[in-house]
Amino acid sequence: MFVTAETAVAERPAVQVASASRRRGSRLPSLNLLAATLVSAAVLYAALFPVGPLPALGPAFNPITGAWTMAADAQVTDRTFRLAGLQQPVKVLLEQDGTAHLTAQTDHDLFLATGYVHAKFRLFQMDLMRRQGEGRLSQIVGKAALDSDRFELQLGLLRTAEAEWNALAADDEAHAALLAYAQGVNDRIAEAESMHQLDAMFTLLGYQPRPWSPIDSLVVKGDMTQTLNFTDTPLVMALLNKSLGADLASEWFPILPPNAQSPYDLGPYSNRSLAPIEAPGLVSDAEAASANALLDRLEALPPGLIAKGGASNNWAVGGAKSSSGGALLAGDPHLHLTLPAIWFQLTMDSPRYHAAGVSIPGTPVVLIGHNEHIAWSLTDAQNQQTFFYQEHEDSTHSGQYLWNGTWRRYQTVNYDVPVAGGPTQHLAVKLSVHGPVISERGQTTSVWWAGNVPSQDLRVLLDIDRSRSWQEFRDALRGWYSPTHNFVYADERGNIGLISAGYYPQVAKGRPWLPMPGTGEYDIIGTIPFDDIPQAYNPPANVIWSANQRQVTKDYPYYIGTASNFFNPGYRANEIHRVLSQPGKLSASDMQALQTDTRDYLASEIVPVLLKSLSSEHLNATEASAVALLNDWDFRMETGSVAASVWWYFWGWYLTETFNPWWKSRAVKVGMGEVWDALGQDLEMWTLADPNNRAFSAPGIGSRTAGDALRKSFRQLIADLVKMLGPNLRSWTYGRVHKRTLENLADVAGLNYGPRADRGDANTPLAAGGYPSTEGPSWRMVVDWGSHTFQSIYPGGQSENPASGWYTNHVDTWWAGRLNPMLSADQASTAAGVRAWSMRP
Amino acid sequence: MRLYLFLLVAGIVAIAGVLVGLWWAPFVVGLALGIVVRRGRIGVPIGAAIGLLAWLAPLAIAHESHGLGLTATSLAAIMGFDHQPAVPLALTLLLGTLLGLTGAWLGASSRGVVTSVRSGT
Repeated sequence: MFVTAETAVAERPAVQVASASRRRGSRLPSLNLLAATLVSAAVLYAALFPVGPLPALGPAFNPITGAWTMAADAQVTDRTFRLAGLQQPVKVLLEQDGTAHLTAQTDHDLFLATGYVHAKFRLFQMDLMRRQGEGRLSQIVGKAALDSDRFELQLGLLRTAEAEWNALAADDEAHAALLAYAQGVNDRIAEAESMHQLDAMFTLLGYQPRPWSPIDSLVVKGDMTQTLNFTDTPLVMALLNKSLGADLASEWFPILPPNAQSPYDLGPYSNRSLAPIEAPGLVSDAEAASANALLDRLEALPPGLIAKGGASNNWAVGGAKSSSGGALLAGDPHLHLTLPAIWFQLTMDSPRYHAAGVSIPGTPVVLIGHNEHIAWSLTDAQNQQTFFYQEHEDSTHSGQYLWNGTWRRYQTVNYDVPVAGGPTQHLAVKLSVHGPVISERGQTTSVWWAGNVPSQDLRVLLDIDRSRSWQEFRDALRGWYSPTHNFVYADERGNIGLISAGYYPQVAKGRPWLPMPGTGEYDIIGTIPFDDIPQAYNPPANVIWSANQRQVTKDYPYYIGTASNFFNPGYRANEIHRVLSQPGKLSASDMQALQTDTRDYLASEIVPVLLKSLSSEHLNATEASAVALLNDWDFRMETGSVAASVWWYFWGWYLTETFNPWWKSRAVKVGMGEVWDALGQDLEMWTLADPNNRAFSAPGIGSRTAGDALRKSFRQLIADLVKMLGPNLRSWTYGRVHKRTLENLADVAGLNYGPRADRGDANTPLAAGGYPSTEGPSWRMVVDWGSHTFQSIYPGGQSENPASGWYTNHVDTWWAGRLNPMLSADQASTAAGVRAWSMRP
Repeated sequence: MRLYLFLLVAGIVAIAGVLVGLWWAPFVVGLALGIVVRRGRIGVPIGAAIGLLAWLAPLAIAHESHGLGLTATSLAAIMGFDHQPAVPLALTLLLGTLLGLTGAWLGASSRGVVTSVRSGT
């Protein structure tokens, strides 16, 4: 009950009261006003200003312009509207599932409309991506993002993007495309602000997006390069070298993979200008301490900033091996699976462009897809593109480093980093000739990263979108530097090809898989000539494939990285090769089936050896049941399989049983998980071909063989699984222990999809490593040029708005392994439920 | 009668204000209400009711035309209240109510002070 002035004074009849009562009464109105003022001020303050993690509540929950508008934004209807900057009318069709079809009468309008459509459905995602690369996340989320911002500004995506933009001639088509695209994005920002349709996250975080610029698009491209390609492996290798010793480190982490893999480029190779590779040597204490400090810093960064391995598939089948008579192409790049997805599906038609596929919001091109003549997809090539240099400094040359015999002053770039809810931070980034200094703890370490070499990748992609032949496709890729990708190709004439385009840095001398002295002798001196990089065209077997495996055989004359930096162990590639190489012809449905293949190649090698090692053992009932299930298993990681669960855990137990004693006795500071794949390749080969390897006889373990370790691991595993999953072995289904989650990009757990039981593992073509698995096939595409059919799917939906029906509408189809037809704009115009936008100048 | 008419106009102004995006309209209307209406016991609750109505009406209209279920669920998730869509709705309506209430209270108490000063008590 509120006490008001009226209740105290005004409404009462005039009566004589005692003087004491009068004094109290005379104070009541003032106290009431004071209370009302304080409470009003508190309410208004909370309504007008952010308090702690809360946004300003008034604008945030304003029923008309606040977060509730996401309901209206989720409605997509037929529209006719003006768009500033258009030269001619543009037509946009939106299929029932949100797939966009843009038809423009000029190339300029096509890119402008693409910018508008991207921003209409993905503006917050685009803003987050540019902020991440430009070191501006703290400005909206506060000091929690300060480490990430500092790192990004040191690494230099923004500097590289600015250099790329400045290097683009005004008459370059990429220049025009980026400008038009930015205008389209800004048209949408202006429209959204005027119609109060900005994504709810802007409202809740309490900021307005600043205008989009071409540099923002180049930064978004840089984000992807970093995610796929910036590695800390040399630091890891330095610590392993120091703790395990040079001999064990070189034996366990060799340059060439120890296991049998399936390279696609079998040679012969030309042999030009070889760079010498030094024999392994021991890392010094100072080098190790410096690497350790830097690694600690990198490990503390948010996931996704450092490339931790890759997993993608693509392959092609020549017309001669295809049941339709035309070339087949399949591609499924594996990335962090997010909501919204990294991809936006569209077709882009203008006088010179007819491309269909997926684009990255923030960039104006189709990255993976097809045009009227060719189809292409890509996987990460995994070669080493990150090199660390330890600069030589001394106290008599402050602010300088020794390079090629002379002392040089570091170049310095200064940044102000705005922080929400705190003071702006200042950051001075030092640059040596090698690149940015990213650590000054211990020895000063700078990094040479191919992603910092300005490159005109956008122009390359525009050329690819217009290519009509392998020659044009390959020529376009001459300008592609980073990240190195395996570009697979198939065309309407039945041709197939694969080329691992990008920079393959070569050092003058030294051990590039470790941090190197920055004194000049170990610098990058060039890259492998384009004609010598891994590639193949119309191979005799009529099949070609990549799955992040090393692309070439041991005879390849150039250094491209070590087995642990970070080529895939090759199990997916081996399985894909196995299926594609079987006799008979292949169809588009075979491609689709292979994309969702759950056969674990490593299991197919190891499980028979395990079973043999147990054949004469006395087993308890549970162990015997597990053995029986493994005996009948087809090595497929399906959700209902108990054997899959046993294998899934067994491999980890076996690795731990073998290597953990070494890790303990040598006090290795690198987690085994960091080098799991590399150790796995060793263990695979020792189990199959070298069961007496000294690795099984770790210090304190005594002499033993692979068989001893297999048996001990198996018995321990079964005992542990009984404790973890219960005594009923039949209930140990794989779906119970292996789940997949699609994570909300803004890290809002309640907007995730899953966790949901799912099949596959890190070794299967249907990639699903980790627990819960958060990475996997981010896009699946199957092209059959014989029947001219194009199919695809990606997990997610076209809209970032969680209130939209297009937020997760593709997920179930993707989960089931099905594909949707990729319609052309003409086909879409007659499809049911299509919505049309007419944009006018 | 004049009081009812005044209350009706106040309600309409508050709702119209919110409908054109002025989320603070209930506070201003409540303030005026508190000053004008002599009986605070009536003015303050009515201010709160007008605040509630002013924020509820646009939401009701939006729900009728688009459906707010998914939006409420999404907002709840963003706020950390998974699967509790009532939370953002309640918070929104509470804010509207508080704006009307505090406006009316501030107006009424101001009036009280002025009256007190004039009456010399």
